[in-house]
Amino acid sequence: MDPGVLLQAALSGLANGAVVGLVALGFTLVAGTVRVLHLAHGDVVVAAVLTGVLGVLGTTPVAVALAPGAAVAFVVLVLAAGALLAAGVSLLAVRPHLPDPATGRAGDALGWVAGGVAAGLLLREGLALVLPQQGYAIPDPLRLDALTSSGVLSLPGGQVLPARVPAVLLLALLAGVLTERLLVRSRFGKALRAVADDPDAAALCGVPAKRVVLQAFLVAGLLAGLAGLLDAPGRTSLSVDAGVVLGLAGIAAALLGGLGSPRGALLGGLAVGLVQSLVVTALDARFTDVVPLALLVVLLAVRPEGLRRRTTVLA
Amino acid sequence: MSLVELAQALWLLVAALGLALSVSYAGLPVLGQGAFVALGGVGTALLGPGGAGLPLGLAVLVSVAGAAAAGNLVARGSSRLEGAYLALATWALAWLVHRVLTAFPSVFGGEQGLVRPSPARIVSPTLGLELTLGAGLHVVVAGATCLTVMLCLSRLDAGPAGRDLAALREGPALATSLGVPVAARRRTVLTVTAALGALSGAGTAVLLGLVAPADVSPLLSLQLFVAVLVGGTARWWGPVLGVALLSSLPSLADALATGAGLAPERVRGALTAALLLAAVTLRGPVGRRLARPAGTFTRAAHDPAVPDSPPDGQPVLLHAHGVGVSYGAVRALTDSEIVLRAGEVHALVGPNGSGKSTLLKVLAGDLRPEAGQVEVHGAPHGGGTRQRVLAGVARTPQRTVVLPRSTPEQQTAIGVPRQRGTVVRHLLATPSSRDATSRRRRLVQAALRHAGVAHVAHQDPRSLTVGEQRLLQVARVVATGAQVLLLDEPAAGMTAAERTRLAQVLRALARNGSAVLLVEHDMRLVSTVADRVTVLDQGRVIAGGTAEQVRADPAVRRAYLGSPR
Repeated sequence: MDPGVLLQAALSGLANGAVVGLVALGFTLVAGTVRVLHLAHGDVVVAAVLTGVLGVLGTTPVAVALAPGAAVAFVVLVLAAGALLAAGVSLLAVRPHLPDPATGRAGDALGWVAGGVAAGLLLREGLALVLPQQGYAIPDPLRLDALTSSGVLSLPGGQVLPARVPAVLLLALLAGVLTERLLVRSRFGKALRAVADDPDAAALCGVPAKRVVLQAFLVAGLLAGLAGLLDAPGRTSLSVDAGVVLGLAGIAAALLGGLGSPRGALLGGLAVGLVQSLVVTALDARFTDVVPLALLVVLLAVRPEGLRRRTTVLA
Repeated sequence: MSLVELAQALWLLVAALGLALSVSYAGLPVLGQGAFVALGGVGTALLGPGGAGLPLGLAVLVSVAGAAAAGNLVARGSSRLEGAYLALATWALAWLVHRVLTAFPSVFGGEQGLVRPSPARIVSPTLGLELTLGAGLHVVVAGATCLTVMLCLSRLDAGPAGRDLAALREGPALATSLGVPVAARRRTVLTVTAALGALSGAGTAVLLGLVAPADVSPLLSLQLFVAVLVGGTARWWGPVLGVALLSSLPSLADALATGAGLAPERVRGALTAALLLAAVTLRGPVGRRLARPAGTFTRAAHDPAVPDSPPDGQPVLLHAHGVGVSYGAVRALTDSEIVLRAGEVHALVGPNGSGKSTLLKVLAGDLRPEAGQVEVHGAPHGGGTRQRVLAGVARTPQRTVVLPRSTPEQQTAIGVPRQRGTVVRHLLATPSSRDATSRRRRLVQAALRHAGVAHVAHQDPRSLTVGEQRLLQVARVVATGAQVLLLDEPAAGMTAAERTRLAQVLRALARNGSAVLLVEHDMRLVSTVADRVTVLDQGRVIAGGTAEQVRADPAVRRAYLGSPR
């Protein structure tokens, strides 16, 4: 393969992968804290972006460059929507099915699995009722394309790369690594690990277990919003249903890096993005969705514990 | 409702009934029945007339077999995982199949799907058969399939397979410890589910002459899941109700959509989501109200007494020696030895953290030791839990496991060993299956009597006292026919009277030739009931002998009371 094409594929793959890594980080955060697979996570990503679109541009959006004020409003709205939607999913679809030491209720995995899937479906179909088109072009509030005057970078071999690709890669990696450090160092991270190890014991030590779980969902939602902000403007158009595959790609990344490991989730995301991009470049763009889905199915069948030998919980 | 619509609903019911086997009966959260429906439909369209040109029947058969194999593979892959991961795996499969169907229009026809008008008549020269392939024939075939599956499900649930399924659903870990091959049962269940899903897909494809990705999308998977959940757990009529609801969904959605000027497919999706959320949220409360363990066994007319036979020469049944286990850097057991003889009650005692539970796990085959060997009936035995149970060594769990929906009698029946093909024979109600049923019943009765819980055999398990639940655990283990019974703290939470009862039960079991290993803290109970005592401390056997000898041993005093300073 031409080195320019390869470099182009690798860089866009890594940028996509860094975004997938943010999604995976949120997923692994929830899974590590409360042993729940957050199956609506990908839908939260897309729903957060579309909520921003609805709030700033209305139901018939056009992809125009946003004025500075509108751009700030868009960013804030998307991040807030991500956090609030994730918290909503947590309260509505997950918490009723978690074990509750106060009432002696046993956990019900079938309940939160179905609840999560239903919440995701509700987000998709609910948004599709107000945004009925196949897809929408999303404006970029961060104007990452404006980093170079032409909007592209030249690569050896006459290839070009959208200027936003390296910017997305850097921003997503930065956010991911910062969050990972925060989880390892902060009091919040310590509380998460305490709840992950033993919710009852954590509660006895004065850690408000229920609130910590909700906070895990909130942080995951924030990361989902950020992932959406970085990812959606790069797509030709964003469809309401795009979140499912993005979420499942995130799950594949989280499993690949060992469920519960933030660093593993980030690295897993990069790997998933890279493999996807290389396969698509070598074969066909039609494999875009097929690759992460097939990867997840195979991973679950063959090596669900991931590539790392031992998984550490949230550290 | 037109004949075509009726046939379509009946084919959908076939898929729902197949899914009910996994979800309601075996408690497996399968979110990808739509994928198997798609495999059946697309396979038939690609292989049959208009595609590769195979005869229609053969094309259907091959697609169903292919989907069944896929279901088996999914179960095989996720057999090591908790239920939630099976949900994830099947959900991912549903999306993978859907995306593959839309991504390769040259093969699968893209959004329009594969259009394969089916032949108007089926002619089979070999069978001398000629049938008009209309909606009427579909109604007959699909209806007959549904009836057959429903009959099989209700009959299965009442028989030995029902016990296994209940155990799979309510306590997989317990089922394993009683020798039920959980992974194999899961594979069978998921294979049947996939096959019925594919049959449904094939039938629908032939009926409509069309397979479009939108009709076999992940939304279908969720709708079928809702249909099954709506009916609640373990009732064959549940899916009928669910599918009836599902069939009325499109017209309801269309009415709502035209009323509000919205896209009908999206309204359908939103309604499905709302239904799913409602079904999941209401499942708990409604299920608790409806949950009444259904007693299907009738009381045996007479109970032939099991003779008390004296132990002949007290042969060694189980011998573990040189056993070493470590968890990371912590050495849990070092060079430990224990001998269990027929006809004895053997107590294993020691302070907390001394390695009692670890040794029990090694003996029961739950844990493979790093060093040493376990010999059963004099021969080295390296198998896992299930093989150990088959060899006659079974254990109770330390914490009581309550299966809330099965009577004590049904729970005891879980562990009764059975021959290959029992389920099929029961399904066909052969004379030998009736003999087997009465033999099982006698074994269960005897086990319940031995454990002293025969009087509560038909009660709601949640109404049992702690002591009765502990004794029920003993009954479940006795019913496996194991001669070596490993009991993990059976007296925990028992009243004094219940402890006396337990002591009598243990003595009686030993009199009948069993070797009973008792892990226990209560030294009073130990000294009244145990023939021999083995003391563990810090992962080593520090003393062994009768209760008297052990109590006098200075090493034991040190371990329990600390060394004098």
